Amino acid sequence: MTITTTPPPAPARREGRVTGRLRIRTMPGRIRALAALAALAVLVVLLVTTLTVRNARDGLRVIGHDAGPQVVATGDLYFALSDMDAQLADALLIGGDAGLAGRRAAALKVYEQRRSEANGALLQGSRLAGTDPTEQRTAQEMLDALGRYERLAGQALLTDEQSRHAAGPPPAAVTALYRQATDLMKLDILPKAYNLTLDNGTKVRRTYEAKRSAVLRGRVWVALTGLLLVVVLVGVQIYFAARFRRLVNPFLALATVGAFVLVVVSVALLSSEAGRLRTAKEDGFDSVLALSRARAISNSAHADESRYLLDPGRADTYEQVYLDKSEAILYVPAGNLDGYYSLLDEKIGGSDFLGFYGTEAHHITLPGQQAALRKVLAGYQKVQHDDRAIRLVATSGDRRAALTTKLGGGTGDFDAYDQALVALKDLHGRAFDRAIASGDHGLRGWNVILPGAAIVLIILILAGVRPRLSEYR
Amino acid sequence: MRLRRIGIAVTLLLASAGCGVAGGATASVSGRDHLVVGVAQDQPGLGFRDSSGTYKGFDIDVARDVARRLGATHLTFKPLTSGQREGALRSGDVDMVVSSYSITQERKTQVVFAGPYYVAHQDILVRGAETAVRNVRDLRGRRLCQVTGSVSWRRVTEEHKIDARLVPASTYGECLDDLIAGKVDAISTDDLILAGFAAQRGNQVRFVNAPFSDERYGVGLRPGDIRGCEDVNKAITEMYQDGTAAKLLKRWFGSTGLNVTTTVPQFEGCG
Repeated sequence: MTITTTPPPAPARREGRVTGRLRIRTMPGRIRALAALAALAVLVVLLVTTLTVRNARDGLRVIGHDAGPQVVATGDLYFALSDMDAQLADALLIGGDAGLAGRRAAALKVYEQRRSEANGALLQGSRLAGTDPTEQRTAQEMLDALGRYERLAGQALLTDEQSRHAAGPPPAAVTALYRQATDLMKLDILPKAYNLTLDNGTKVRRTYEAKRSAVLRGRVWVALTGLLLVVVLVGVQIYFAARFRRLVNPFLALATVGAFVLVVVSVALLSSEAGRLRTAKEDGFDSVLALSRARAISNSAHADESRYLLDPGRADTYEQVYLDKSEAILYVPAGNLDGYYSLLDEKIGGSDFLGFYGTEAHHITLPGQQAALRKVLAGYQKVQHDDRAIRLVATSGDRRAALTTKLGGGTGDFDAYDQALVALKDLHGRAFDRAIASGDHGLRGWNVILPGAAIVLIILILAGVRPRLSEYR
Repeated sequence: MRLRRIGIAVTLLLASAGCGVAGGATASVSGRDHLVVGVAQDQPGLGFRDSSGTYKGFDIDVARDVARRLGATHLTFKPLTSGQREGALRSGDVDMVVSSYSITQERKTQVVFAGPYYVAHQDILVRGAETAVRNVRDLRGRRLCQVTGSVSWRRVTEEHKIDARLVPASTYGECLDDLIAGKVDAISTDDLILAGFAAQRGNQVRFVNAPFSDERYGVGLRPGDIRGCEDVNKAITEMYQDGTAAKLLKRWFGSTGLNVTTTVPQFEGCG
């Protein structure tokens, strides 16, 4: 570097003062040293750019192809598991009621479907847990616990069938078995599924922060080393012009232009990769994660509504838990469920609420997102209206009427709400996929382009200095 | 309505201010040698300071274990009443709070919660001779101890709309004295706290055993400490996986006859 910043028009004068430092006496030696310096600068640019591109690639891999999709997979697993327990509760509530036999069969059919979905997802544990040993152990423990759950559920259903009770809370023996089953599900299995989702969210957040800042920092280094390369090439050009009275060395000129273009393109690429990581994370992933969690919590709250009817001994707890979950989904400062229903009606048209839907409402970035969110909120409001009606009938003492209210409009409304929620989640999922795909696309070929460009630059540099060297042979 | 709207706006502002701090001034609990932990000093079994000034209890042991897994080597415990917890975190007086601190959506607008590390259930404690109180609804018309900053009394009078007469006190220890002295008729708070009281006072009090809520005990952290929250969650997961949690629960509540859960709870999530 010292050679470029102090071109040697007067080397003889300084020779005495810099003893001990390398001095190149012959002209061919100086030319070779300049060529080596230029080639070295090319290699430095190559190295810095390659490392930065690798950071971008790692970020895309973890966010787009590893932890990101696992959030969706674990979210679906939670839904399947939670819905198994909800369907079981509905089936036990209906009992031997002849008028509702069709509904019971339907609930059991959905139960079977969710069971096979959950088992399928768990058997492919590696898809959920990756290579992390703690997470793999969690997936294995869930599979074991699910086996125990299914056994308890089977016993509860059998005892329920034998009791032939009317619609409403089943006999104590059935409730005791259901309590064991639902406790296993709620206290053991579901927390593990939910925590896996959160773990993957953590992985994405940390990867994003580390890799995006690495790409942004790397971009600065690419620009700086690229500038240095251009300065070296221009310096050699000027040196040759002064020494050999040639105006332009075409090969070196080409190398300079090539280096400049390469650096500009690299910096632009890295900028757009950082931007795509940001879009994937902030407009896609964050919402997918939040809405997956909202869906999980919504479904378990919906199941708590069934449990509230099924198990009067625990009704107080189930009601409190229902309010707590509702507040996590959409928070308005209400002290109790009645207050929540009315504040919800008041606020839901606007956006001054917190919780998962609050976050979503305050971050509208995608076309169609506002409309999709409005659908979700309308569906949520309907579900809460149904809940109010169900609890009103239940507290009046008519548990069968409460159940028919729930099975009448309640189930359909909840399914409609869930579909709207999935549609909103998928909207973000597509934005995520698009950002990841264009990120992948942008990086395609750079493993070849970078070394290729470096080789071409070095050849051009050598071709540029060769005629000058030959003058000394 | 207008007031509520302003209230939410202020809450949002505070929440976003909290987020803003995240990148800068907030000292995360991760990667620190020394941590200051806010705890209770008057809850036998959970957080209790004995006559020699040593802190003991399930919360204390959880705080020690979590801090060790975070890599901290030196811990200072700082006694906090229920009403002081958010303020102590927000002002930076303490780095974390482990003090039967229920996660609620309202509190989440003020502080970050890792965990829960345990899900307790609200129950009722009455004098030993009292037999008429069988569930929360039987508290109608009775004098109920109201601890400032605690959510427990609200669950009775607001969530369940039960018309109990609230008698204020600053700590649950004070409630217990008031109960035995006949100044209040019932204490309603988490089973873990009440079980500790019952074990301490024998026949003088009776644990009703009619749970009516899930109380998710979180580790309170400063607003914006997302990284710390994620690390605390990992520590709690490990605490359950290697059997430490089961051991601690047995040590502190094994003799109370409470049916404790020894599997990792569903976390609240840090974001």
